Amino acid sequence: MSTLVPAAPAPVAQPDPITPLTPAEARFVDWLDSHSNRDEVLAQLKANLQTAIEIEIATIPIYLYAYYSLNRNAESGENIGPEQLFANKAGGTVMSVAIEEMLHMSLASNVLYALGVAPLLYGKAPDQYPTGLPYHNPQGPRGPDGQTAVLIPLSRFSFEQLWHFLQIEYPERWDITPEDRNWQTIGQFYSYIRCLLRTKFLTDADFQQRPPQEQAQAIQPYNYSPNNTDTVYPAGKFDPWKPAPPVPIPAWAQADSYASGAQAAVYPDHADSHAGLSELLTIQTLQDAAEAIDTICDQGEGCPVPDVGPGSDDDPTKDEQSHYVKFLRLQAQFAEYATTTESLPADPPPPKPIVPAVSQFELELAEVVIAFPDNPTSSGYPAELQLISAFCSGCFQYMLIMTETVYRVPAASQKLFFNEGMHRSMIWVLDKYIKTIRNIPVGGGKFMGPTFENIDLGPQASSFVALTELGNQAIAAAQNIINDDPSGPMVSVMGDVIYYIGVALTATGTGGQPMHLPDVSQYWRDAEA
Amino acid sequence: MPQPGQPVPTPYPYADAPLFPTSIGPQPAGLPLHSCMGLNSCRGSDRYGLTGPPGGKANACAGQGYCATTADHTCHVQNQCRNQGGCGLYGTAEEMNRPAKNECRSLGSCATPINAERFSTNGPNQGKSVWLRARAVFAEQWPERREALLAKTETSDVHRDLPESLGAPPAPFAATGPTYLWITNGNQLRSNMTACGSSGMSGAGGCS
Repeated sequence: MSTLVPAAPAPVAQPDPITPLTPAEARFVDWLDSHSNRDEVLAQLKANLQTAIEIEIATIPIYLYAYYSLNRNAESGENIGPEQLFANKAGGTVMSVAIEEMLHMSLASNVLYALGVAPLLYGKAPDQYPTGLPYHNPQGPRGPDGQTAVLIPLSRFSFEQLWHFLQIEYPERWDITPEDRNWQTIGQFYSYIRCLLRTKFLTDADFQQRPPQEQAQAIQPYNYSPNNTDTVYPAGKFDPWKPAPPVPIPAWAQADSYASGAQAAVYPDHADSHAGLSELLTIQTLQDAAEAIDTICDQGEGCPVPDVGPGSDDDPTKDEQSHYVKFLRLQAQFAEYATTTESLPADPPPPKPIVPAVSQFELELAEVVIAFPDNPTSSGYPAELQLISAFCSGCFQYMLIMTETVYRVPAASQKLFFNEGMHRSMIWVLDKYIKTIRNIPVGGGKFMGPTFENIDLGPQASSFVALTELGNQAIAAAQNIINDDPSGPMVSVMGDVIYYIGVALTATGTGGQPMHLPDVSQYWRDAEA
Repeated sequence: MPQPGQPVPTPYPYADAPLFPTSIGPQPAGLPLHSCMGLNSCRGSDRYGLTGPPGGKANACAGQGYCATTADHTCHVQNQCRNQGGCGLYGTAEEMNRPAKNECRSLGSCATPINAERFSTNGPNQGKSVWLRARAVFAEQWPERREALLAKTETSDVHRDLPESLGAPPAPFAATGPTYLWITNGNQLRSNMTACGSSGMSGAGGCS
């Protein structure tokens, strides 16, 4: 089985260095050293890392909801129009951030795991929307609506929703006091964790609380990739028939001046946007933990510039913008940006309006933004559709369970489990299921969006059985809709609902081998007792 | 609204090439499956199989075959066997640097066959042809693979005259790999192959 474990990624020649403490952080570390003790610091660190996991989990449904409201490739290649081009760019950008939020969730989980504590993810998404983030100050800077409330809705992609994204990623002011409660920026929250790590009470041994066999079960760096075909977007019109370089372009494909898809591709994430040796890190030392926290902060808010504040980018080559800047630059392409009264920090400098400007009306007219409802719940959808919606939330929760399960899978099998569990569920189940259900009208001119609820699948040990039961109920609901109107417009969609539930729960290969999501029960037998 | 792939290049440049086969022909026994054009290990091992394309002959040797013998799949981790992953769309930098070379089911990357337009999204091959990289990896591995196959000649249909150097892929595609234009017979049969992703940049029809 050892042959299944991929080689460690090649070390990066010049990883960006650990962020030095600001004067305010240094003062706080001094205060902790003189007023706290080892037990308190360790307890605070563990509690705050679990909070960090829940902050990161909270962002993922919010970003994915907006992502799936975008119809990215109704037009492509040489025919792509300005609205579609913007929607594709917005989709790639939002997905590039969502992927890094999953990375942050994994990094915080790995630090906590190294301290001997099992990360808790299942059932830890927000209970309802709009939501505050855990311990976020409920009052923030003024938004485009003139309000200061920090309540993030589950809402389709729009100028206003981008403001809420900015509320999440708002950059930390230089030398601000670290806070783990009532924090203004996520950077301020992680600054508190950074200070706990720098106290005199902790040593490398605190991050070696597990035997080697268990240490090797942390989520390994080889599972992470910064880009994929969903983060990539075209810079402009392109010729989809031209082969990827460096091959010579065949004579038959030279008739136009458009670039090939490969040449037009923009990559919003870059492989050097991290501290330490790789984006995803396992943790054995204080240095490792500090690097993990730095990667989280830098990707979200930008690498700090001493005496100024956060920069616009998060990597040594300055190719990758921070989450804050990525979202602000999308907002800056909306026509509303030129006159918005939202309160933006001076640093990093807000961009000038970006052309060609788009408007929500134009995006909807071009059918590149789907009319998702705001803050939906399964119980709020029409009765006959509720189970179909609930299965989507069930898959979301099962993904969180599988993430918890990674820490229980023998190291030699982790890659296989990660591929068959995490990748298959994200790419082949959740992605396809959401793109299917978003074709279902739910009344009022709206279409079904994923509700990402904390649906109860029972104990992890029996969660696959519970997901299967939920899937069977959703299949029955879809079949009822087909039976009620066998020639109706929803027959094809409901057929796809049934198909993708099968992909999640029962699919097999040509040789009968399982090609569905793994049943995690074998890894949770000790938890049953 | 223009349909996917339009405008289609004209005239169709592969009028003399055989049609892309949607099913896989009879294979010599004991040969490893492979995921794309030019990655075959032996005479007669390709998508057309031992009988060759209609009106033609089976390929003559390793490296000359037309397209995949694996069960086609459309996405990352959906491969059913060793060396069946395509690569380029999803996957890690390390996986994308060795397309069509994976240890077992679910450890492979993206869709097969590997269309010529597909590029890697991560790693040292980022922005470059996946098929070219797959062919280069196959060529690097060929001496070792050849030795292993020669050792099996008593128990398989592997031809004893395995060349030390790979043959060239079929002429119309030798420099690029199989183009989506050929796979879809001039954009008429887009369902012949799908590849995942929402950006519309896989170079092939999307799977949703």
